[in-house]
Amino acid sequence: MNQSFVLPNSGHTFDPKSSKLGMWLFLYTEILLFGGLFLVYMVYRSLNPDAFLLASFKLNVWMGTVNTIILLTSSMTVAMSITALQKGDKKMAMNLLWLTLLAALAFLVIKYFEWGAKFEHGYFPGMDHYDAMPVGEKLYFYLYFFMTGLHGLHVIVGGIFIWVVIAKIKSGKVHKDRISLHENAGLYWHLVDLIWIYLFPLFYLIH
Amino acid sequence: MTAAALPENNFFNAKKGIMSWLFTLDHKRIGLLYLYAILSFFLVGVVLGFLMRLELLNPGQDIMKPHTYNQVFTLHGVIMIFLFIIPSIPAIFGNFFLPLHLGTDDVAFPKLNLLSFWLYVLGALFALATLVFGDGPADTGWTFYAPYSVKTGTNVTMSVLAAFILGFSSILTGLNFIVTIHRLRTPGMGFNQMPLFAWSLYATSWIQLLATPVVGITLLMIIAERVFGIGLFDPSIGGDPILYQHLFWIYSHPAVYIMALPAMGLVSEIIPTFAQRTIFGYKAIAYSSMAIAFVGYFVWGHHMFTSGMSGTAGFIFSILTFFVAIPTSVKVFNWVATLYKGSINIEIPLLYMMAFIFNFLIGGLTGLANAALAADVHLHDTYFVVGHFHYVMFGGTGFAMFGALHYWFPKIWGRMYNKARANVAFALLFFGFNMLYFPMLILGIMGMPRRYYDYLPEFHGLNQIATVGSWILVSGLILMLANLLIGLKKGKIASANPWNGITLEWQTSSPPPLHNFDKLPELNEGGPYNYPDAKKA
Amino acid sequence: MEENKNKNNEHQEHISSYKEHFGTWSALILLTLMTVLVSVFGADLRTLSVATAMIIATVKVLAVGYYFMHLKYEPKIYRTLIIIVMALFVFFLVMVILDYLTR
Repeated sequence: MNQSFVLPNSGHTFDPKSSKLGMWLFLYTEILLFGGLFLVYMVYRSLNPDAFLLASFKLNVWMGTVNTIILLTSSMTVAMSITALQKGDKKMAMNLLWLTLLAALAFLVIKYFEWGAKFEHGYFPGMDHYDAMPVGEKLYFYLYFFMTGLHGLHVIVGGIFIWVVIAKIKSGKVHKDRISLHENAGLYWHLVDLIWIYLFPLFYLIH
Repeated sequence: MTAAALPENNFFNAKKGIMSWLFTLDHKRIGLLYLYAILSFFLVGVVLGFLMRLELLNPGQDIMKPHTYNQVFTLHGVIMIFLFIIPSIPAIFGNFFLPLHLGTDDVAFPKLNLLSFWLYVLGALFALATLVFGDGPADTGWTFYAPYSVKTGTNVTMSVLAAFILGFSSILTGLNFIVTIHRLRTPGMGFNQMPLFAWSLYATSWIQLLATPVVGITLLMIIAERVFGIGLFDPSIGGDPILYQHLFWIYSHPAVYIMALPAMGLVSEIIPTFAQRTIFGYKAIAYSSMAIAFVGYFVWGHHMFTSGMSGTAGFIFSILTFFVAIPTSVKVFNWVATLYKGSINIEIPLLYMMAFIFNFLIGGLTGLANAALAADVHLHDTYFVVGHFHYVMFGGTGFAMFGALHYWFPKIWGRMYNKARANVAFALLFFGFNMLYFPMLILGIMGMPRRYYDYLPEFHGLNQIATVGSWILVSGLILMLANLLIGLKKGKIASANPWNGITLEWQTSSPPPLHNFDKLPELNEGGPYNYPDAKKA
Repeated sequence: MEENKNKNNEHQEHISSYKEHFGTWSALILLTLMTVLVSVFGADLRTLSVATAMIIATVKVLAVGYYFMHLKYEPKIYRTLIIIVMALFVFFLVMVILDYLTR
């Protein structure tokens, strides 16, 4: 078999530019996925402005603020870890990624307590307090749980992605000259951050 | 296989065993897997459609209960749209021929490609599982409109989940193709030297990528509504069912161009081969694909003229919709101009392409009638709409797909089918198709509503004609597929380039070797369709 | 194409400095605190505060995209595409809201 000839533009050889382009395209789909939810939010908020305002008082602004700061910081550490690996500092890159993972965990823990408080009050769709809420506030809480829940899911996926990258840096599969996976994990993590940047004022800062 | 005269190294015999197919990374094998899967589901959809026509042969209840009829038309829609026509051309011929057209050996992410195939299979299994689990398949129509989709007892959750998974598969295919086109073109091939099929896939992929997520999230909302029992589109908590329609059509209108654009790419591909002359207006066709994809995002509201949407919005959407006609007719004029003074060789693929132009013209012009705000109020939800979109989807995309199957048959399998039988099958298909769907247009104008198992006595005659047409259509379909299957086994060995085609896939052997090209393919000078003797004319 | 041939040797990617990342982060934190303060203590500004919150969020998003996600150093096509995607979303939003406003 004449297998020796390989085309210069073969799809089977690794190409960092393809990898990055592919990741960005995927991020566009994520943006529009959440875009659909933001659309629903905007329409219902404009239909029920007062209910949304009243419902937002039931959230804890300070927990939201702390979570925002945590996510922004984790975004910085992941960006810095890419710089570190590009400079060849494997140890530093891994430490910064561990920090990012820690931040992800902290975010989820705070979220857990936040959600837990809402459950205690019975604000989750189907619970007694929820059923007694006025029209509009129900929509707010439905959207709150749906959007932060989906975002939380993305935090978990991003965390796993970063964890995989740490393992691959350790085993030497991701290194200075083969950094695409690391960069892509970073891009994904930034996206998680970006979505939160909009979620935060829309749910916590209606006042 | 009597492989005596087939090339010794081809992708069929490069690897052996069932596993080498199920977990293949070869784009050609994945394309064929899609072909077998998609054609199987197509046949299921055809059977369902056939049964509906049988029910409508006479007024009153004949072979199925009203509720069953609702489930049948829903399943027919779900299968035909999500399992057949959206993936059909991109997943089958796009996978098989895009890398060949670009002169490369695979798509950019072969593993992702395999993943999209398996997601497709998973989604298909979910769609079919509704037949067995829960209270039977959904009865909402393929659009899953809230609030009925939330209230009905049938298994909507599973159907919606199937559509969600299939959407994911579609996104990944689109992503793969965009990166392939950007990064893997053969040295020297700029965007404007790409075959037009690649251009149309490029436009299609952008729609798949940017429109599908919106419906994905909408379907998730429907699932959440059903799971928690209350929901976002429920007016009693301040929601609005029309918002669901907005979100649904933001995807599903562009999706119509996912179905139509690749078919247009095929026409632009096949007509120059059988006219043996360069395509007229290469850039106009290429850019009009992009224009259709772009304008397609701005017109979703024309599905909602009678939904209670505001008059102002309806007016704007109606005007925007008319703009779609411009790039579409640019293409039609260019195709006809390509045939003008060409040395036309009337073979079966060309016949299918001409049928495409004929059917698509009817489909497109009736589309304009639907786009007009005032006319649509009368035509909405009548058989006129059913006729319109079957003309566009089946008469257009379906026929283009059959044509492509006949065009690339010798390239894929290295054999030729019986041309006389193929001609008869084409005649039956074309005649049966028009006999089936043209009466629907008239019925619609007369006022027959769609989605009922029954109708008033004055619609009887035309419905009978349509049902007889469906019999002719199905017999043509059976003959066509049987002929191809026989050709697959016993057909004469075809040459590497039986149609004297000029794009890159004809430079390699038939069937192609595992890595597509044994040497760097040679680009045509002056464009992908520049036939050498065209200069004389 | 030249770039295709030696795609594996081209590794002249821009390396952002730690300082740049830290600067971006400081700006982001500052903006976050600002938006919280405007919202909590400027409650009588109501509609104004919605607009400021969204503008501040957008500035933050741009900063993340530009510096953390390296958009500043990527080829122009990445910026063009993201503008198209955002424009598309804004169009969806405007048309849907328009429907509700004109009912």
